[in-house]
Amino acid sequence: MLRLLRIDLKKLTNYRAFWVLNIMYGLLIFSIPVSVMEFLKWLKVKGAEFEGFDPMRIPVLHFPDIWQNITYVYTFLKIFLAIVVIISISNEYSYKTIRQNIIDGMSRIDFIKSKLFTILLLSLGSTLFVFVTGLLTGVIYTPELDFADTFIGIEFVFAYFLDLFTYMVFAFLLTVLLKRSALTIFILLLYTPIEYAISAYLPESFVFIAEYFPLHAINNLIEFPFAKYWFQEIQDFVSMSAVGVVVGYLLIFIYAIHYKLKTSDL
Amino acid sequence: MDTVLKIDNLTKQYGRITAVKNLSLEVKRGNVFGILGPNGSGKTTTLGILLDVINKTSGSFSWFGQPPGKGVRKKIGAILETPIFYPYLSATKNLEIVAEIKGAPKENIDQVLKKVELYERRFDKFRTYSLGMKQRLSIASALLCDPEVMILDEPTNGLDPQGIAEIRELIKQIAKEGKTIILASHLLDEVQKVCTHFCVLKRGTLLYSGSVDEVNKGVESVEVMSDTPEIREVLEVYNKATKIVEESGKFVVTLVEDTHASDLNAYLFSKGITVSHLLTQRKSLEKQFLELLAESDNA
Ligand SMILES: Nc1ncnc2c1ncn2[C@@H]1O[C@H](COP(=O)(O)OP(=O)(O)O)[C@@H](O)[C@H]1O
Ligand SMILES: [Mg+2]
Repeated sequence: MLRLLRIDLKKLTNYRAFWVLNIMYGLLIFSIPVSVMEFLKWLKVKGAEFEGFDPMRIPVLHFPDIWQNITYVYTFLKIFLAIVVIISISNEYSYKTIRQNIIDGMSRIDFIKSKLFTILLLSLGSTLFVFVTGLLTGVIYTPELDFADTFIGIEFVFAYFLDLFTYMVFAFLLTVLLKRSALTIFILLLYTPIEYAISAYLPESFVFIAEYFPLHAINNLIEFPFAKYWFQEIQDFVSMSAVGVVVGYLLIFIYAIHYKLKTSDL
Repeated sequence: MDTVLKIDNLTKQYGRITAVKNLSLEVKRGNVFGILGPNGSGKTTTLGILLDVINKTSGSFSWFGQPPGKGVRKKIGAILETPIFYPYLSATKNLEIVAEIKGAPKENIDQVLKKVELYERRFDKFRTYSLGMKQRLSIASALLCDPEVMILDEPTNGLDPQGIAEIRELIKQIAKEGKTIILASHLLDEVQKVCTHFCVLKRGTLLYSGSVDEVNKGVESVEVMSDTPEIREVLEVYNKATKIVEESGKFVVTLVEDTHASDLNAYLFSKGITVSHLLTQRKSLEKQFLELLAESDNA
């Protein structure tokens, strides 16, 4: 298992785009809480209009709100990691190295595993990074730090991991089907709006199936949190049924990848 | 001698095209086995099936008496069609990946790079290599696990004469070490110069399979000329001649097996005829190959 991961990392870590995308991704993660705070400070400076209200008191980046808030925002950045995955796999097709890997003695399952391990590593790494960023941000900005609050809502960090991992496996599947990187990225970007457009046109009695569409299911893991700041009801927990649907899709995607590779000539 | 590869009734269908048709073959240990056939005759498809990258339609094959699988492939060093490597990685890094896949010791890397004379360039990216260097790197890669069998598909394709000579020299050298080599080529003289055994494929069908020596040994034809006009009658009664053709004063005599120009000369001399011109024309593999292909067209 480690051997397969080592092989794939050797392919990736010497590839420039891998570092460019990862660093961009990391910088964005890091800079979002910083810019949000800078923005709130700026509002405060302009504070006269707020009639004594201190925008720094909006608990966007306070424990325990912070976990759902930042993981929700960060899921929009997963496209960077998905592009890493797409490039990594479409390169294997365009260089034909997938063929040579198998000739050299990998099985098709080994190949899939080596890519899945990399995806796992990327999701775990990103989750850890988000966890640390969240923790630091929360510690810095929460006015009355209470340890009991710190890890409330930490399940969103787990949901973030599942969201990322499943999305990247979905990107893996699309690449295996389409093979070319630009086309795959294009389709992946188009896929979400298409899914939402379809769900908008579903007849009344079928609307409920929309939440079983793959990207709906993934996006349902972490619901939109900010409505509560204008006093609307939100879902402030990770729904187990959403987790179940997503895990189901994960298995379907992996099976489909395996089926496609097994039956095609390389 | 034990069998390295056995193919039984292998067939591959691409839609309506049958790329390989009921192919059966056997390759023994130590053979340098040529698969000869014009472009599109199914050589690469056959090798692709043997290496599990192309799904067969029907038939079966076994390596070292075992069913195919990744364990078997790790003992084979193979290149299909063109050298395939990560273009942005150096030779060393590329071979590290291959070694990791094959479970071959890393220490072999420098050794095989020296063997193919790429050691000096080992830290340069693959994409900066010339075609000849790329071909040599794939031979290095195939040698990495000290394989029992090497599979080379058109290893000299696209090279200049010097590159071709280098690669052939390398193959001969490897063959001398006793490795089994399977070489697909559309070039006759390549097969003739390098192989001990060969088969001929055409449109996926096996036309011939045998040893190169047998074919080379084959029948000889001899061109003779003499100032003595009786030569015609004398030749016509020669019981070792199977065919006599007159061409502008010269006679081309096809001899039965194991009879040579010297035998013919001795015979003529015993009949009191001295020859003024005597030339052995060994029927080249090329001629026989073309004949085989032509025969199959008529059939
Ligand atoms: N992926 C494919 N799809 C359809 N036909 C193919 C494919 N690959 C090869 N063929 C056909 O199979 C035949 C054999 O091709 P190939 O094995 O590459 O021949 P060779 O290596 O002897 O030149 C050719 O007619 C070729 O067009
Ligand atoms: Mg070919």
